[in-house]
Amino acid sequence: MSREKTGDRVYYPYRFLALLLFVLLFLPALNPARISSLINKSTSLLTAAISYGRLTENMGRAFNKGWILESTMKLVRWSAVGIDLGILAAAAGACLSLGNRRCRLIANLMSLAGGVLGAVSMLGIRSAYVQISATSKPDKVGPILPGSYMLLLVLFVLMTAVSIAELILCERPAKGEKFFMEEKYRLFLLLLPFIILTFVFSYLPLWGLRYAFFDYKSGDTLSMDKFVGFKWFAMLVRNKQTRSDIVRVLKNTLAMSGLGLLTSWCPMAFAIFLSEIKNTRFRRFVQTFTTIPNFISWVLVFAIAFCIFSTDGFISSLMMNVGAWSQGRNFLMDGSHTWLKMLLWGMWKGLGWSAIIYIAGISGIDQTLYEAATVDGAGRFQRMWHVTVPGLMPTFFVLFLMAVAGALNNGLDQYLVFENTSNTNAIQVLDLYVYKMGIVNGSIPFSTAVGMLKSVVSVVLLFLANNVSKRLRGETII
Amino acid sequence: MAKTKQEKIDARVERQYYRTHKSAIRLKPSDYVFNVINYAVFAAFTIICIFPFYYLFINTISDNSLVQRGLINFIPRGLNLDNYVRILQVNDLFRSIGVTFARTVLGTALMVGASALVGYLVTRQEMWGRSFWYRFIVVTMYFNAGIIPWFLNMAMLGLTNNFLAYVIPGIVAPYNIILVKTYIESSIPLELQESAKLDGATSLQIFGRVIWPLSKPILATIAIFGAVGQWNSFQDSLILMQSAPQYYTLQHRLYIYLNTTSNLAALMSAGSTSGISQSILESALNGKVIKYTISMVTIIPILCVYPFMQRYFEKGIMLGAVKG
Repeated sequence: MSREKTGDRVYYPYRFLALLLFVLLFLPALNPARISSLINKSTSLLTAAISYGRLTENMGRAFNKGWILESTMKLVRWSAVGIDLGILAAAAGACLSLGNRRCRLIANLMSLAGGVLGAVSMLGIRSAYVQISATSKPDKVGPILPGSYMLLLVLFVLMTAVSIAELILCERPAKGEKFFMEEKYRLFLLLLPFIILTFVFSYLPLWGLRYAFFDYKSGDTLSMDKFVGFKWFAMLVRNKQTRSDIVRVLKNTLAMSGLGLLTSWCPMAFAIFLSEIKNTRFRRFVQTFTTIPNFISWVLVFAIAFCIFSTDGFISSLMMNVGAWSQGRNFLMDGSHTWLKMLLWGMWKGLGWSAIIYIAGISGIDQTLYEAATVDGAGRFQRMWHVTVPGLMPTFFVLFLMAVAGALNNGLDQYLVFENTSNTNAIQVLDLYVYKMGIVNGSIPFSTAVGMLKSVVSVVLLFLANNVSKRLRGETII
Repeated sequence: MAKTKQEKIDARVERQYYRTHKSAIRLKPSDYVFNVINYAVFAAFTIICIFPFYYLFINTISDNSLVQRGLINFIPRGLNLDNYVRILQVNDLFRSIGVTFARTVLGTALMVGASALVGYLVTRQEMWGRSFWYRFIVVTMYFNAGIIPWFLNMAMLGLTNNFLAYVIPGIVAPYNIILVKTYIESSIPLELQESAKLDGATSLQIFGRVIWPLSKPILATIAIFGAVGQWNSFQDSLILMQSAPQYYTLQHRLYIYLNTTSNLAALMSAGSTSGISQSILESALNGKVIKYTISMVTIIPILCVYPFMQRYFEKGIMLGAVKG
C-alpha cells in the first residue's frame, strides 16, 4: 500500500477523535475539570472556560474559609480554556483535512498543536486537583478526579500521535500549491454548524429519556446503582393515586382533542359560507378581523378573557349597570363546562385562521364545475354540497388525520394560563400534567416516563394516520 | 391568447344577459333570508373577535375612576393617557420589554439567515451526503423527547437562566428550511446559479448575490411569522428562567401580573425617582387598569405588524401543507 493511501486511511480515526473531543466540550457528565463536588454538576468544559462565575458559584464559603484557594480555581479555569482551545484546534484541523495536501499540512499542524495544548492543560487540572486534595475540609470540598480525566488525556495523546503520524505519512504540498477543497466538502462544511445545532437541540434531548429508568432527584448524578428499570412505568398502573390521576388526565386530553375533532369541519364551513358573501369589502373585513386572534399568545387570550369575564370585567359591569346583577361574577373561577369553554376559546382564536387554507382551496376549484351544476339545475346549497365540499375534502382529510395524530399533544399554554383552583380537575391535560409533575413538583423520572409514553403513542398515531392516508388517497402526509 | 371577435361578442352578450336578468337569477326570497342570516352571523363573529381588543383599549385611555366603577363599556370617556406612562414604573416591566424586543430581533434575524443558507445548501446536489443530512434535519419535526428531557438538556448545556436560550435553539427551524428549499427549487432558475458559477462565483457568493435577493418573498414570510412567534413565546421563559427574573419575557410578566390578586401598586418600585409618593400612586392606580394597560402594550406590536402579515397569509398557511 502506498504511503499516501495509508495517510488517507489514518484520517478516519483522526476525524473520529476530533468529533469525540468536540462532543466532550458540551457534556457536563464527562467534564474532567469537575475536580470538586462543589462545582455545579451541569458545568460542561465549555461553561467552565467561558464563565468563571458559574464554575465557582457554590464556592463563596470555601473561598472565605480558605478551604480552596482562589488561585487553584483560576488554574482550573485557565486549564479549561487551554483544553477548549486544543479541542477547537483539533476540530478545525479535522474540517480542514478534507482539502488538498496544502490544507492537510495545515490541518495536521493545527491538530498537533491542539493535542499538545490540550494534554499540557490537562496537567494543569491535575495539579489543581493535587492542590485541592490538600484542603483542610475534604468532606466539604469533596476532591475528585473525574473518570473522564484519563479518557480525555488519552484522547489528547492519541490526537497528538495521529497528527504526527499524518505529518510523516502525508506528502508535502508541491511548491506554490494553493489551498483547495472539493466543492462537495466545502458545501458540507458550510452545513456542518447547523447539523451540530440540530444534533444538540433535537437529538441530544433523546438521551435525557434515560432518566425514566433511574431513581433521580434534581442535582444527583446518574449511576447504575440507581437504575430502577420500569419502576416508574409500573407505578402508573400499580399506584392507586397515580392511576386515578392518569385516568383523569387522559380523559381530559381525549375529551378536548375529541371536541376539537368533532368541530374540525367548522373552518371549512366558515370558508364556504364566507365565499357566498358577494360583497368583497365585507368579506375582506371579516377575514381580516377574524384572523387577528390567531396571532396573539395564549397569555394574551387569557388577558382578553380576564377583561371580559372577570369580576370587574365587561360582562359584570354591564350587568351591574343595567341593574340585573348586584354584584360582579367571575366566570373564570367557575369550574363548570371547562371542556366546552376551552373549545370555544380555541375556536375564537383559531377559526378565522384555519379557514384561510379552505378559502384558498375554494378559489382553486374549477369555475366550470359551478356553471355545469347551475345548468343542471343545482341550487345554492346543492352547489355548496356537491361541488365545493368535495373540492375541499382532500385538504380536510389531511388536516383531520394530522389532528388525529396529534390527539395527545394539546399543548401546554392554553391550559396552563386558564388553570385555577376551581377548574384544575377538568383542565389538566397530559402536557400540563407532565409539566406540573416534572418542573413544578420535581419528580423528573416519573414525568419523563409519562412524557415518553405520550411521545411513543404520538409517533405510532402519526404512522397510522400516514398509512390510512396512503391506503385511501395514495398520498402520504409526512 | 387573443380572443377572437366572435368570443368577445359572446362575452358581451353574456354579460348583458346577466345584467338584465340579475334580479330574476339572484333575488329569490329564500336567497334574501340566507343572505341576511349569513351576513349577520359573520358580522356577529367578527364583532366577537374585535370587540375585546376595543374594550381593552378604551379602558386604558379613559378616566381611571370611571373605569374602576365599570362605566366604560362601549365609549371612551375622560381621555387619559397617564396609564401608559405609569406602567413604566411597574417593577421590571421595562426590562422585560427590552428582553422580548431583543430576542425577537436577534432570534428572527438568526433564524432567517440560517434558514436561507441551509435551504440553499440542501438544494446543492453535489454536497457530500446531501439527502442524508437534509433528512437528518427535517425529520426532527416529527418527534421530540418531551418537555422534561428538553429542560434537562438545556440545563446540561448551561442554557438555563441564560438569555441565549431564547435565541440559539431556534436557529435551525426545519419547517422554514423546507419552505426556502422548495421556493429556491421552484422559483429561482438553475441557469442563474450556473451562469454565476461560470463567472467564477463561489457557493457563498452565489448565495449572497443570487439566492438571497431572489428569495426575499419567502424570507419575509418566515421572518414575520418567526418574529410573531418569538414575541409570543412564553414557555421557555417560564421553564428555563426560573431563577433569572431579569430575563422574563413580556408574556411571562403579563402572566404573573394577571395572576397577582393583590393590588398591583405594591409591585411599583418603592424608590422610583418620579417624586410621586407611594400613596398617591396607589390611589391612582388600580390593579385592573394596570393589568389592562400591560396587556395592551403586549398586544400593540402584534397589531402593528398585522397589516404587513396579511400579504403573507397564503404562503404562511402553506406552513401546514408542504412536505419535505
